[in-house]
Amino acid sequence: MNQKELINRLSEALDETKVGSKKMLQDTFSVLSDQLKDGKGVSIPNLGTFITKTTPERKVYNPHYDAEMMVPKKRVVEFSPASNLKEEVRDLDTKG
Amino acid sequence: MSEKITFKELVDLIAKQSDQSHNSANSFISELVQIIESGLKSEGHVSISGFGKFELRWMNERLGTNPQTGDQITIPGQNKVVFKPYKALREDVNAPYSHLKSEIIDVKNKKSEEVVVPLMRKSGSDDSIDDLIIEKDHPYKKPKEDPEFSEVPLTKFQTQPDPAIVREVQDKGTFNWSFAAAGVIALLAFLLLFYLIQRTPESVSPSMTTQTEVPVTVEPEPTQVDQTDPDSQGEALQGTIESEPQADDLQPESDDLQSGFEFQEYQMSPGESLWSVAESELGNPYLWPLIYHLNQDQLENPNAVPLSTDLDIPVISDPDNLNDFEIDQVALGYLDLYEWNRFNNPDEARYFLWAVGVFSTDLLENLPIEVDAEDLAFATSR
Repeated sequence: MNQKELINRLSEALDETKVGSKKMLQDTFSVLSDQLKDGKGVSIPNLGTFITKTTPERKVYNPHYDAEMMVPKKRVVEFSPASNLKEEVRDLDTKG
Repeated sequence: MSEKITFKELVDLIAKQSDQSHNSANSFISELVQIIESGLKSEGHVSISGFGKFELRWMNERLGTNPQTGDQITIPGQNKVVFKPYKALREDVNAPYSHLKSEIIDVKNKKSEEVVVPLMRKSGSDDSIDDLIIEKDHPYKKPKEDPEFSEVPLTKFQTQPDPAIVREVQDKGTFNWSFAAAGVIALLAFLLLFYLIQRTPESVSPSMTTQTEVPVTVEPEPTQVDQTDPDSQGEALQGTIESEPQADDLQPESDDLQSGFEFQEYQMSPGESLWSVAESELGNPYLWPLIYHLNQDQLENPNAVPLSTDLDIPVISDPDNLNDFEIDQVALGYLDLYEWNRFNNPDEARYFLWAVGVFSTDLLENLPIEVDAEDLAFATSR
């Protein structure tokens, strides 16, 4: 599902205009991004938890350079789905 | 990063941001969550632009051990929800460490040692001796004479065949002319407008129009002049290699510009290269450095892209008639490739530097990185 369908369905469900839903959606995720940017975690009920995590620097072997490389530490977003969302999708047949 | 904000705080922030009541923000989020869930169930993925993508991933049945009893058990296949942040979010979150770059520890030749800023050099190993030997075997000085294009080995670099160069030369002509034409037209239009506005208040009485409209229309001119004149004239004489401060100037600008693209996700399938993706998605295979430039954090080697890579493909207006911003980005892409090839394929690196100049002479004259003087001479002499 892409952004457009998402907005269509939101505006239907909320009885809102598409423009209004779009703005709300953007605001929501810009607030989320801002929190993550500050290194803060956010939980959303029934969806899951976003946290940021710093991965330490590590050594990797790069076959192209034929050399070891040091990959610097990095702050990344981690998402862990809420348990009921996990249950909901666990046994879906997505192979089709 | 254990610090977390509560859901209530989040709702408050969203309500404030969008000028809505706490209640409507709350119901919005619960609707949103439901729709994301149903989207995952029906299509297996939900994409939120500028943020990330939720996806279902099927985990195959596997063997495991019950940690309590130590018994072997079969874990049945199941779906997992994964979230992949898009580039904008990844970059925002990684902002505190964005200045750090991957670095070769086991340096192969002297040149890469000079350019790559060492973070943690391992010293005192036998490698240093090996390095010296390798360095002798691979002298980085290139022959001075101008080699034919056919000398470029086409095995690995199918991206730089003869037609490429011919085509880019042609493009160079069209690009520069279209710039010049656009500049002249804009200037003429502006002058005309200025003239008309000045004349109307004379015939009609109120001076309101002059005061309100003139400042608005005047503004574009200085910026336009700024962009073209000082760059081409002031820097043209400066044959030396650019230093750090300029790199700092350039960086924030390109970051701003990057947000100018809209992105589509694209997953590589077997047998594809950046070249073929550029051909099918952007309409012109020679724009492949653009994809490399925008996905550099995922791509270690532009010539070997792992299958599972999700590329951000920019949406461009018209592949035959790129706007200034897009051309700049393509040029930056070639510059990235120059850097990469300098370390991995030093004999051909200069062709990429030359291609930078084909797309943007300004960038070639104001290079944000240090380049080999001979490469620069090669790139500018054409």
